[in-house]
Amino acid sequence: MALDKVTLFCFLASYTVALAVELSQFVRRSFVAQLATMLFTLAGFVAHTSYLLARSQQHDLPPLLSSTHDWVLVSAWLAVALYLGIQLWSPRLSVGIFALPLVLILVGIAPFTSRTPIPQVFQMHWWTMSHAAAYSLGIVGVLLALLVSLMYLIQHHRLKQKRSELPALHLVSLERLSQLNWWLIIVSVPLQTLGMITGLYMIHLSKSGDHPVDLMSITVGLNALVWIAMTILFGWMLADKNATGRLVAWRTILACVFLLFTLLVLKLGSADAIHGQGHAPFGHSSLRTSGGEK
Amino acid sequence: MNVQVIYCNHQTADLAVREQLTFPSKESLQRAYRELHHRFPRSEHVVICTCNRVELYIAQEDPSDSPTHYQLAEFFADFHQLPLEKLLEEMLEFQGADAVRHLFEVASSIDSMVLGESQIVQQIKSAYDEALQSSSLGPLTNALFQRAISVSGRVRTETKLSEGKVSIASVAVGEFGKSIFDRFDNKTVLVVGAGEMATETLVYLQGEGVREILVCNRNLDRAKRLAEQFSGQAKAWEQLPYCLASADVIVCATGAEEPVITKDLMKQVRKQTGTRPLFLLDLGAPRGVEPAVGDLDDGIFLYDIDDLEATCERNRKKRTQEIHQARSIIEEETSRFMQDIYHKATGPIVKRLRENWEEISRQELEILYRKLPELEEQERLAIEKAIYRIVNKLLHPPLETLRDEARTGTPHGMIDAIKRLFQLRD
Repeated sequence: MALDKVTLFCFLASYTVALAVELSQFVRRSFVAQLATMLFTLAGFVAHTSYLLARSQQHDLPPLLSSTHDWVLVSAWLAVALYLGIQLWSPRLSVGIFALPLVLILVGIAPFTSRTPIPQVFQMHWWTMSHAAAYSLGIVGVLLALLVSLMYLIQHHRLKQKRSELPALHLVSLERLSQLNWWLIIVSVPLQTLGMITGLYMIHLSKSGDHPVDLMSITVGLNALVWIAMTILFGWMLADKNATGRLVAWRTILACVFLLFTLLVLKLGSADAIHGQGHAPFGHSSLRTSGGEK
Repeated sequence: MNVQVIYCNHQTADLAVREQLTFPSKESLQRAYRELHHRFPRSEHVVICTCNRVELYIAQEDPSDSPTHYQLAEFFADFHQLPLEKLLEEMLEFQGADAVRHLFEVASSIDSMVLGESQIVQQIKSAYDEALQSSSLGPLTNALFQRAISVSGRVRTETKLSEGKVSIASVAVGEFGKSIFDRFDNKTVLVVGAGEMATETLVYLQGEGVREILVCNRNLDRAKRLAEQFSGQAKAWEQLPYCLASADVIVCATGAEEPVITKDLMKQVRKQTGTRPLFLLDLGAPRGVEPAVGDLDDGIFLYDIDDLEATCERNRKKRTQEIHQARSIIEEETSRFMQDIYHKATGPIVKRLRENWEEISRQELEILYRKLPELEEQERLAIEKAIYRIVNKLLHPPLETLRDEARTGTPHGMIDAIKRLFQLRD
């Protein structure tokens, strides 16, 4: 199949079916359904990869640099890759129920984000690459921390209520979830910091170029706010030794929700003037995109 | 002959009820036996008392001596100072074959919370020994309990009931412990108590990789013995607060009548330790940990016996095939035991009838030998054999009928008829 024939709808549909099959496990647990979830996710993942490659070839840029649209899709791609890896490592774990909705949200918002490569990318290729990579990985890390925190709260609630585990909702231990959450925040926040620093340096460099960026823009302000929120969470996690895992999970969720909200405001509210204009959420943008923009 | 059982167990009553009906110490059990002797002097008694059940087995030679359900419930109500009306509802009763079947099911762990657990056999043996020491055991209960233990062995050998998670500790750790902690080899386990339950829990936890074990018991010698068995450390009872503070997993398996881990004590302990995760397993009945301890903070996860019921029920549903197999063995053994009992009831009459006829034969032979003194030894033997055969053939139809009748119950009517027909006296 030609790469440019793969549409965003292909993998969105695959992931949706995979999630539906995963949900059916709550009604009746079966190995066939488990296998079907994996196969649909895998099919979506192949289509997703093809789509990103096609976009990359079109702009002659790595997927991360093509546009915000591609950043979001790369984040979703990383989440799917991680999910598939975890499922292969331990098929009993119920990760799909958490990971697939996140993937669907990311893929779902992709059509509403800018597909135009940022203007500075051709001048500051490596700086842009570092900035995008650090930010994307940081955001993926934070999103995963959100999922891990959700798992923690569900597991904690079950254990406190003394309820038996649902066969379709087998999670790892609180101890492991707590460690994972800690590491995800500890790794994500420095990555975001790196993204922030490289971004600021790029703004500085842009002053002498054709597309100067204003340091006082909403984009910079909101990103700085997210970074501050994450850094506070980071510092607090390192400093407060007595916090319960449940409290850590709640604070992580709050910080992550704040990050997601900010991103949505930036991308969907057409407020991001630096990384390219976002599309109107209910406008003409559709899922018919075939291999990126022509 | 009659066997009856009055009981309440994990399937019929909450832990809150069971812990009120239990006989937690040897002294209270001995007092109970004395009281039973006093109230029902013509009965044999055996009390089985575990964290999941309180059962009283009673047997009598004469069914008319059987106490009523009301009388038995009254015994429990008076002994434990509980309202009788409540116990009349909470306590169930079986008679005859149903009571025997129930004991066989208990001994085979079909009726246990954890299917296939082996501890119940030990508990039944202990109950048997205790009844023996209290002179409460009689021929009927003796035969019943001996048979129950052998049925349990048969079920374990012929089915797969004993495979998989077969202890309360394994269910608790598997269902809850492993959802709290990822591994146990770096955790400190404190066992409060040094009885069978504590031992069984430690066997399982050691299998899970636990290395740091503390045993705290009122009797330090017993704590030392248990600690030595598992390469752990025995701690004096006074050190309990320190032990609680250093443990990640606490297993409370005491036979205390009052909780030993109270909310106030735990509050003090948590001030030192903070809110780090703590897996607290209360395997006692009565409970050894105050339920309010579980609400102290987010890090405490407290489970008692009843909290494991749902998981055990799920495991039970998965193993219906084995249960079915075990039930058919139990059914067969129950019928056999009942036949033996009924047959035993006909034993004295059969013996007397045979002795009576043999006596008549002997007397007639003596008369014959006096009349025919010239008979050779060989001829005498031949005559004796012939008469023996005649007696046997004549006895066969009534005895066979008696045996047939005894298959379904003690044939009181038939026994009376034979006594009258052949003029047999008690």
